[in-house]
Amino acid sequence: MALVEFENLSKIYRMGEETVRALDGVELRIEPGDFAAILGPSGSGKSTLMHILGFMDSPTSGQLRFEGREVSGIGRARRAWYRANRIGFVFQAFNLLPRLSVADNVQLPIVYSRSRIADRRKRALVALDRVGMTHRAKHVPSQLSGGERQRAAIARAIVNNPSLILADEPTGNLDSQNVVRIMDLFTELAREGQTLVVVTHDEQVAAYARRTIRMRDGRVIEDTVNGV
Amino acid sequence: MINGILTFYSGLLNGLVEVWAHKFRSLLSMMGIILGVAALVAMVGVVRGMIGEVRDYFERTGGITRLQVESREPPDEQSHIAHLSPGMTFRDVEAIQAGGTLIDLIDPEVSLGWRRYTYAGQSEHAPLQGVMPDRRERLQLQMREGRYIGDLDVEWASPVIVLGGWLGDLFFPNGGAVGQKIHVHGQTFRVIGVLENLGGPESRGWFQRQNRICYIPITAAMKRFSGDDRLSNLSVRVAEVAFLDDALAQMENILIQTHRGIEDFAVSTMEEQLEEFRRMERTFTFALGGVAGISLLVGGIGIMNVMLAVINERIREIGVRKAVGARGSDIFIQFLAEAVVISVVGGLIGMMASVGFVVFIREVIDVEQFRIALSPPAMVAGFLFSAVIGIASGIYPAVRAARMNVIDALRYE
Ligand SMILES: Nc1ncnc2c1ncn2[C@@H]1O[C@H](COP(=O)(O)OP(=O)(O)OP(=O)(O)O)[C@@H](O)[C@H]1O
Ligand SMILES: [Mg+2]
Repeated sequence: MALVEFENLSKIYRMGEETVRALDGVELRIEPGDFAAILGPSGSGKSTLMHILGFMDSPTSGQLRFEGREVSGIGRARRAWYRANRIGFVFQAFNLLPRLSVADNVQLPIVYSRSRIADRRKRALVALDRVGMTHRAKHVPSQLSGGERQRAAIARAIVNNPSLILADEPTGNLDSQNVVRIMDLFTELAREGQTLVVVTHDEQVAAYARRTIRMRDGRVIEDTVNGV
Repeated sequence: MINGILTFYSGLLNGLVEVWAHKFRSLLSMMGIILGVAALVAMVGVVRGMIGEVRDYFERTGGITRLQVESREPPDEQSHIAHLSPGMTFRDVEAIQAGGTLIDLIDPEVSLGWRRYTYAGQSEHAPLQGVMPDRRERLQLQMREGRYIGDLDVEWASPVIVLGGWLGDLFFPNGGAVGQKIHVHGQTFRVIGVLENLGGPESRGWFQRQNRICYIPITAAMKRFSGDDRLSNLSVRVAEVAFLDDALAQMENILIQTHRGIEDFAVSTMEEQLEEFRRMERTFTFALGGVAGISLLVGGIGIMNVMLAVINERIREIGVRKAVGARGSDIFIQFLAEAVVISVVGGLIGMMASVGFVVFIREVIDVEQFRIALSPPAMVAGFLFSAVIGIASGIYPAVRAARMNVIDALRYE
């Protein structure tokens, strides 16, 4: 069973008279264990696709199945549940809360997934350990470098053992050294069986993935497995 | 439900952190609540003090069984013969003694104002009143030393005096006043007794004024000072409350005779004063409620304003929290809790400020008039009010935060 299935999925933005087809009949399957890179020119609908994948937005039309369930029409609270329990999102701008410590930031998805309180801290530390950030647990984000912030954000994304990690241009704000570190980290997660979808403009970043999806004008125009 | 409580609890902690992180702004936003609560508690203290004073006075002067005779202008049709009435005089007292079967106590008074008392080279001013023996019973005056004015003193118009506790302390700090001669306004009086201070040594208000008064026989007051038999005040006590109306009629019948049919007096019951007192209490309560209501409303608007600004500043935070799984209700509770923290902390500061406020008023305003009490119920009410205001003013901003779209919020710069 596919983890995610898009069937003729469209997202249309209406702005007065004008309509923008951000996604225009997308057909896509993501299998458990996939490590996919999405490439495409600006405005081709990559972020829109990620938002729908990440339960932050719902499609205008078409079918969307997640773990076999039809989820295109579910309500806000249900989508929040998926975001807390099934999805880990990594942003270009890190999006850590500035006043919380790294450990507290990492714990947020556990807080909102309403799981037992006792092992929150422990699980946050395990996640931080996987990204090599245990020593920074008590720092606040402003005390970290860009690469460290993104690793903390990845720890937050994996803390609830999500079915799917989504990263929208995660390396966009990083220097080349940190790009390598972050992509190595993703590769390692993928090797451990984590399903990952990474949006990027950078062919070198895309080369880390096992699968490349190219988009244009709201459609998937190419979907290849790397090295084949 | 449990989760909601937990979220609210962590929201409260979070709110405290936020309030602390923006100390100055938080203080500004709390100002309205602080002033509102402080004003509420202080005003209740002032009003309680005033009302307590009136109540003390009412109870000490005979309560509901007291009838008071007052002079007043005769009706128009009698104004041309008004001079025929002798007014309120000692003859009224004699007539009531003779015919007032329902009256068990007569307390007339010739008030001589403030007079100078001299003893052993020391001089002090205090009020002087000419009274009859019943005064002691009506006010339940206690003797510290000696005796009170007796019937024979009145009959003979003896030059004897009972000192108030205050003057007794000044002239005779070690006792031994009885038998001493003191001068009152140039005349010599023999001290026959000294009164105990009413209301304890730290007495205020009515008690304090009462403790300064010195008494001489009413006949001595008329003979030696006023020169006629006019009374300043006349109170009587009704033997039983059940006969109040009958006693009132009896008094009017007696007095209309001594006043030769001229209605230049009125007998009033304390019920009227009691009603007056209740009206005053109501007026104050409404005025107070208005003041407190307006300041707390202003406080609430202040908090709402700040919360809207806070939410505007933290749109991105809202987006991030939602992106990692927060539901609208989580965000709602978080910001509501923050508003509650602001208002409750404001309420607490307001309570503390009210203590200072009350102390300040005590220092500045005439302390002799009444005592200003800190009222714990008013403090609790003010505090609860502030919490309610916090919730009420936090709801709208919190709803706005909760409704925010994830993607728009994340994109917000
Ligand atoms: N909220 C919105 N309202 C209107 N139009 C929108 C909205 N969000 C996206 N769009 C439009 O949808 C199209 C796809 O946008 P999207 O953000 O998915 O592109 P993208 O591939 O992520 O681009 P980039 O590489 O620049 O991030 C664009 O034309 C964009 O202007
Ligand atoms: Mg994009």
